Amino acid sequence: MRPIIGITSYVLPASWGVWHDLPSALVPYDYVAAVREAGGRAVLLPPDDEDADVLTALDGLVLAGGPDLEPRWYGAEREPLTESHPERDEGEFLLARRALEIDLPLLGVCRGMQLLTVAAGGRLHQHLPDRLGHEKHRPAPGVYGEQEARFEPGSRIAALMGDDVAIQCYHHQGVADPGSLTITGRTEDGVPETIEDPARRFVLGVQWHPEVVRDRRLFGALVEAAR
Amino acid sequence: MRRPLIGLTAYAQQVQYGSNDVMAGMLPMTYVRAVHATGGRAVLITPDDPGTDVIESLDGIVFAGGGDIDPAYWGAERHPETDVDPARDDAELMLMRAALDADLPVLGVCRGMQVMAVVGGGTLHQHLPDIIGNERHRAASGTDPLAADASAYGRHDVVVQAGSRAHALLGSHLTVNSFHHQAVDKPGSFDAVGWCPDDRVIEIIEHPERAFALGVQWHPERTPDLRVFAALTEAAALRAGVQPIAIAA
Repeated sequence: MRPIIGITSYVLPASWGVWHDLPSALVPYDYVAAVREAGGRAVLLPPDDEDADVLTALDGLVLAGGPDLEPRWYGAEREPLTESHPERDEGEFLLARRALEIDLPLLGVCRGMQLLTVAAGGRLHQHLPDRLGHEKHRPAPGVYGEQEARFEPGSRIAALMGDDVAIQCYHHQGVADPGSLTITGRTEDGVPETIEDPARRFVLGVQWHPEVVRDRRLFGALVEAAR
Repeated sequence: MRRPLIGLTAYAQQVQYGSNDVMAGMLPMTYVRAVHATGGRAVLITPDDPGTDVIESLDGIVFAGGGDIDPAYWGAERHPETDVDPARDDAELMLMRAALDADLPVLGVCRGMQVMAVVGGGTLHQHLPDIIGNERHRAASGTDPLAADASAYGRHDVVVQAGSRAHALLGSHLTVNSFHHQAVDKPGSFDAVGWCPDDRVIEIIEHPERAFALGVQWHPERTPDLRVFAALTEAAALRAGVQPIAIAA
């Protein structure tokens, strides 16, 4: 039996065929394919703030990308450009915190990395361009920022990525304080692009989008850890 | 204490939201809410996968609504109105077989009931209006046929056979919402136990020897009447409670 990997999902009014704007649980198919191609069996986890009990059936967890977190989760006031989606936050925090507690293998992507950070006691910058003076991490709507990362020698991400430092970013928030996690990768402007917890089996957050290229290094490492 | 884990078969398809147009694994939240409201925990099963091993992690499964099943599966030619989804067909027929073999509690909704019938060796009508001469079973998309001001399309009665499991659950009569143009013709190894009284279209099938295998042609997840979901969750909870003993043995 393949490891079962849960993927958190969006809830959005979606349209297809004859249907218009039906509130739907959905996740870009790239995530599902990335898990499958890495040897895992993906199931999608619609938001649910009741309990994290679904984790007992899972071998690993992907915290997927999506909208900004509600800043109250890290004790901040909402800034003008923050676009949160509170319906997802509560259930995903339950999952992230419990997954850390029980040392479930965990990959956080973009929003997922930010969620992981906040679940580990960290904080976020709400709009990076205000601090950086550039928009390289999200150049335009629907356009990934092609960037290069510098990975900490000896880190998990350095071992997984090797000499390949090209990443595809699409975010306007970023990690300000990693909490109990360790920052192991940054772009040249200093923005954290990778966080890890070396004390746990597999806890990795990346600010870029490895699912888009179905990156077997990262998803493969998650699935291996989940076996 | 954990809740029973209920798999929901889902779409993998191109969807639009906001300014995005992406290939997504997705399912309307009505199904998710129906499972959560009746005490289960829903996970979505996308139809891309060559295996059925996910069944081992579930306590119950819902085969959700969707497009038409390819008539090749019951040896018929394709009707011009039949619109198939080959990826879901492959995956769901395989999953349905595995679920029934494992005696996993199964609920089939609309297309899901049709998948059940086909896996049971049955056949479908491909386009009901050809047979009954009207569109009573197909509401306009996006409408609620049970709303007070709705047209009659998509709303009809169902009579339930006395002595069936469905009768114990739903009573002898109910009014339902319908969004389908195909229907079960022969239910194969399942029993047909509910019909639309106006045209005798099969609306409920069940399997008398399985722990819980029920198919309904309407969309209970879009109504406040979630009895069939509650019954599935109950059967799944019963199974989940028994499972640890089996593993220990």
